Amino acid sequence: MAINCYFSSKKLCNQYKSLSKISSTVTVGLVANPFSARDIRRVVSNASSLQVSDRAQIVMRVLSGLRACGVRRVLMMPEKGGIIRLLKRDLQRYQQMGNNRFPELEMTDTPISGTVDDTFAATQAMVDSGVKVIVVLGGDGTHRAVAKFCGQVPIAGISTGTNNAFPEHHEPTITGLAVGLVATGRVPESVSLSPNKLLRIDINGGERHDIALVDIVVSIEHYIGARALWRTENLRELFVTFSDPEVIGMSAIAGLLEPVSRNDTGGLHVLMDIPEVAATLLQVPIAPGLIRTVGLQSWQRLEAGIPIILKQSSGTIALDGERELEFGTEDNVQVTLHENAFRTVDVGACMRYTGKHRLLVGAPLDLLPT
Amino acid sequence: MSDNPFPLSREELLQIYQSMRTIREFEERVHVEFSRGDIPGFVHLYAGEEASATGIMTHLRQEDRIASTHRGHGHCIAKGVDVKGMMAEIFGKKIGVCGGKGGSMHIADLDKGMMGANGILGAGAPLACGAALAAKYRGNGDIAISFIGDGASNQGTFLESLNLASIWDLPVIFVVENNGYAESTSVDWAVAGDSYVDRAAGFGMPGVTVDGTDFFAVYEAAGEVIRNAREGGGPSLLECKMIRFFGHFEGDAQTYRAVGEVDEIRANRDCIKSFSKTVISAGVLSQDDLEACDSKIVSLVDEAVSEAREADFPTEVDLLTDVYVNY
Amino acid sequence: MARTISYKEAINEALDQEMTRDKLVIVMGEDSIGGTGSPGEDDAWGGPMGVTKGLYGKHGNQIMDTPLSESAYIGAAIGAAACGMRPVAEMMFVDFMGVCFDQIYNQAAKFKYMFGGKAETPVVIRTMVGAGINAAAQHSQMLTPLFTHIPGLKVVCPSNPYDAKGLLIQSIRDNDPVIFCEHKSLYDIEGEVSEESYVIPFAEASVLRDGDDVSIVTYGMMVGKAIAAAAILAKEGVECEVIDLRTLSPIDMETVIESVENTGRLVVVDEANPRCSIATDVSAQVAQQAFKSLKAQIEMVTAPHTPVPFATTLENLYIPSPEQIVVAVRKTLN
Repeated sequence: MAINCYFSSKKLCNQYKSLSKISSTVTVGLVANPFSARDIRRVVSNASSLQVSDRAQIVMRVLSGLRACGVRRVLMMPEKGGIIRLLKRDLQRYQQMGNNRFPELEMTDTPISGTVDDTFAATQAMVDSGVKVIVVLGGDGTHRAVAKFCGQVPIAGISTGTNNAFPEHHEPTITGLAVGLVATGRVPESVSLSPNKLLRIDINGGERHDIALVDIVVSIEHYIGARALWRTENLRELFVTFSDPEVIGMSAIAGLLEPVSRNDTGGLHVLMDIPEVAATLLQVPIAPGLIRTVGLQSWQRLEAGIPIILKQSSGTIALDGERELEFGTEDNVQVTLHENAFRTVDVGACMRYTGKHRLLVGAPLDLLPT
Repeated sequence: MSDNPFPLSREELLQIYQSMRTIREFEERVHVEFSRGDIPGFVHLYAGEEASATGIMTHLRQEDRIASTHRGHGHCIAKGVDVKGMMAEIFGKKIGVCGGKGGSMHIADLDKGMMGANGILGAGAPLACGAALAAKYRGNGDIAISFIGDGASNQGTFLESLNLASIWDLPVIFVVENNGYAESTSVDWAVAGDSYVDRAAGFGMPGVTVDGTDFFAVYEAAGEVIRNAREGGGPSLLECKMIRFFGHFEGDAQTYRAVGEVDEIRANRDCIKSFSKTVISAGVLSQDDLEACDSKIVSLVDEAVSEAREADFPTEVDLLTDVYVNY
Repeated sequence: MARTISYKEAINEALDQEMTRDKLVIVMGEDSIGGTGSPGEDDAWGGPMGVTKGLYGKHGNQIMDTPLSESAYIGAAIGAAACGMRPVAEMMFVDFMGVCFDQIYNQAAKFKYMFGGKAETPVVIRTMVGAGINAAAQHSQMLTPLFTHIPGLKVVCPSNPYDAKGLLIQSIRDNDPVIFCEHKSLYDIEGEVSEESYVIPFAEASVLRDGDDVSIVTYGMMVGKAIAAAAILAKEGVECEVIDLRTLSPIDMETVIESVENTGRLVVVDEANPRCSIATDVSAQVAQQAFKSLKAQIEMVTAPHTPVPFATTLENLYIPSPEQIVVAVRKTLN
C-alpha cells in the first residue's frame, strides 16, 4: 500500500515508513468479560455492577490508546454478553463519520458458551496467532483464566470485577497507550514487563489441579453454590502470592497482617478459625463496603517451590475469590507458590519511561493516510 | 453415608429432587399427551428449567405470592399446587384446579400463593408489586416473586414495575428466567444492552446473575435476595440463565435453534442430572433413593393423566358462573 | 342529616368514611396527595381536581402518590386486591386506559372466571370521564362502552352528589372490580347529601321524572340535559319519563323495559361516540325485549363519530344538548 509522506524531512519520513512496517503486523489480543461483577455480592455487600455499556466504553478507550501507538489490529474474544455488539456499533458509527482513531477489530474463531471455557479457547487462539500482549477486562477470575493459557505473552489487566485484587488500577486510555508502546517495541521489556507469582493447587498428585493469581482460600463450606465468598467464619486457610494492604477481598486478610509486594519473593500462608476460639482477631474489608472480623491462628511466609499440604481435611477451595473445587478426607491437597510464572505489563513504568524519553513527542507514531 | 455438606437436610434434598423431577415428568408427559391431540389450546413447557422454580420456591412460605409467566406449570408444582388438579385443568376438565375454565396459560391457586400463570407477557410484574405492597402494608414479612421471561423483560410493564418497586421499596424479587429465546427470536437480538441486571441498576436496584441450571447456585443466591427483601432491604433482580428443552409452545418445530442444540443441552445441561450427581457423589442420597422417588412420581403423573381423561368436562351450568362475586 | 355539598366533596366524603371504617381501603393515584418528594406543602393537590384533598392529613399512609406509571400501579392495585386489600386506584383520565387496559380487562376482570372461582379482586378504579372543559381529544372521552363490554367488570356513572357518595361506598364494599366514572364537568354541581354513610345498590336505575309519553334513558352528565329537555317538552304537553341508569354494568333494564312498556317510545342519550355505545346497547335490548310495546322507532342522541374537539364552539356542538334531545323526542311522536 502506498504511503504518502507528509514530512518535509526525509529522515522523519523514513522513520515513519519503518514504523508503519512494524505497525501493520502488530496485533494485540483483548479479552473482555461481560459477565464479571454479577454475583450475589451485589446484595450481600455494596459491590457495584459495571454496566455493559460502561465496559464497552472502557474497551473503546483502550482501543484509542492502541491505535495512537500504531497498533492497527486487535484480536478479541467473541461474546454475546453485549460488549462486542456495542463496540461494533460504535466503531461503525465512527467510520461513517470519517473518524479513524481505532484499530480493526477481529474475533478469534472460538466457541461462545458464555462460560470460562470461552476465555481459555480465545486466549490460546490469540497466543497461537502471535499477539504481542493480551489486554484483559474482567475480575480476578477472568485474569486467572487468561494466565492459564497466555504462556510468555504478557497480560495487561483492567479491573471490571468485584474485588479486583490482581489488576492494578489505571485509566484504560493509558493502559491502551502503554500496551501499544510495548507491542510496537518502543519500550524495552526490562522496563515494561514484570514477572508474576502464582499459586498452583494439586489434588491427589495432579489428578485435579488449578491455579490462582492472588489467593487460595479453604472454607469449611462443602459446596460451590453461588461461588462468591463472604461468610468469614467459615474460612480456615489462606495462601497469597502477594498481600497488598490497599486491596479488598480475601488477600486483604494477609495484606493487613504482613504486606508482601508483587516484587518480593515468596507469599504468605495464614491459618484461621472462628473468631470465638481464634488466637487473635483482624478487621478485614472482605468485599466492597463489607468489613468483617476474621479469626487468626497463625501465619508464615510461603516459599516458592515448596508444596504445603492443607491443614483442613475437607471443604471447598476458592481460587481468587470464587469457590471452584470441593475436596474430602480422602483427597491429598497441596499448594505450591511459583515465581516468574507469567508476565504483566507494568503500565506505570512504561509511561514513566515514555515521558522521560519523550516517546510521544515529535511525529505521531501513526499518521493516518487520507 | 458421609456427613451432609449441604445447607439442606437429607429430607429437604429429597423433597427438592421430588419437586424438580415431578415438574420434569409432568411436562414430558404433557408433551406426549399434547402430541396425541387430546389437550386443547396452547401449552408452554418448563422442562429444563426446574432448578430455577425449585431453587427459589424452596425459600418461600405458603403466604408468599408468586406471579408466573405463560410457562407456569413448573412454578405451580414447585409452589405446591395439586398435580392432579393441574393435569385435569390442562385437559379442560371440571375437577381442574380452575374448574376447567382457565387452562394451561391461566393455571392458578390463590390459596397456595400462586397468583396465576399469565397469557399476557409481563403482566405479572405489576401484580407481584401489588402483592408486595399488601405484604409491606400489613407488615407480615411476606414477599412476592415476579417471574419474567427474557422476552417480557422488554415490556413496559416490567420496566415500570422495576421503577415502582424501587420508589415504593417493595419486598419483591424480579426473577428473569433467561432461556435465550423469546418465542423464536434470540435475546442476542432483542435485548438492548444484553443485560437484565444493568436494567435493574438503572433503577438503583441490585441485580444478580446465576447459572439457572445449577440448583445450588440458584438456591444460595435466591436465599440471599429473599432474605434481604423480607428484612426490609427492598427489591432485587435475579437473572437465572437457563435453557428450555421444548419449544416456545407445543407444536413449535424449533427450527430457529441450531441443529443438535436440544440434544446437546439435554445431554450436558440437565439440571436434574447435575443435582443428582452432586448429591450422590456427596454421599447424601443414593441412586436407589432417587429411583424410588422417580417411580412414585411416574405413578402420580400417570394417575393424574388417567383421572384427567376420565373426568367430566364442565357443562352449561358452569359457563355462566364465577364472572362476578355477585351481579 | 342532609346538607348541600358538591359532587367532588361527596366523593371525598365517601373515601374518607370508608378509609376510616376499614384500614384495608387504600387510595392511590397520580398526585392523589400531591407533592410527594417535593419541597413545598404536603397534600399540595389532593388529586388533579382536588377530589382527594385532606385525606392525607387524616389517613396518612393509607393514601399514596404514584409515579406516572399506570400499568404498574393500576396493576399493583389489582394485585393487592387479589391479596385481600381493598384498593381505590385513580386512573386520572379515562383516556389513559390505553396504557394500562391489559391489567384491567385481561387481569382483574378475568381472575375470578379463569381461576375457577377462587379469586376475588375488590378493586375500584376511579376515573374522570367526559367533555365540557375544553380538555380536548385526549382528555375528554366517554369510554364507558369499552368497559361495559367486558365481562367481569362493573361500571358505575353517578350523575349527582347524592348518587356519587352512595355509589362509591357501594363500589368500595363490592367484591368485584369496579370502574367508577366521575364526570369532570359535574365536580362542582351541588346537591343534598346525607352526612352519614350509606350505599346505593348497583343495577337500580333512578326514575327522576315520571311521564307517560316517552322514556328518556341516560347517565352521567346527560341526565341534566335530559331533565332540561323534559322541561322544554312539558310546555308542549309532552311528558317525558327520565331514567338515570346510574350503573352500566350491571344495568337495570327492568326499569327501562317497564317504562317503555308504558310510554311506547324510547330516546337514549349517550355522551359516548355512537358506534357500539351504551345507546346502541340499550336500544337493542329494548328492541328485542319490548318490541311489541314500541309505537315509534327508537331514537339515539349521542356525540358524533369524531374525537372531542378543542374549540368551545365545536365542543358545544359535540356534547349532546337539550335541544337535540327535544328534536329526537319529537321524531318519536310524529
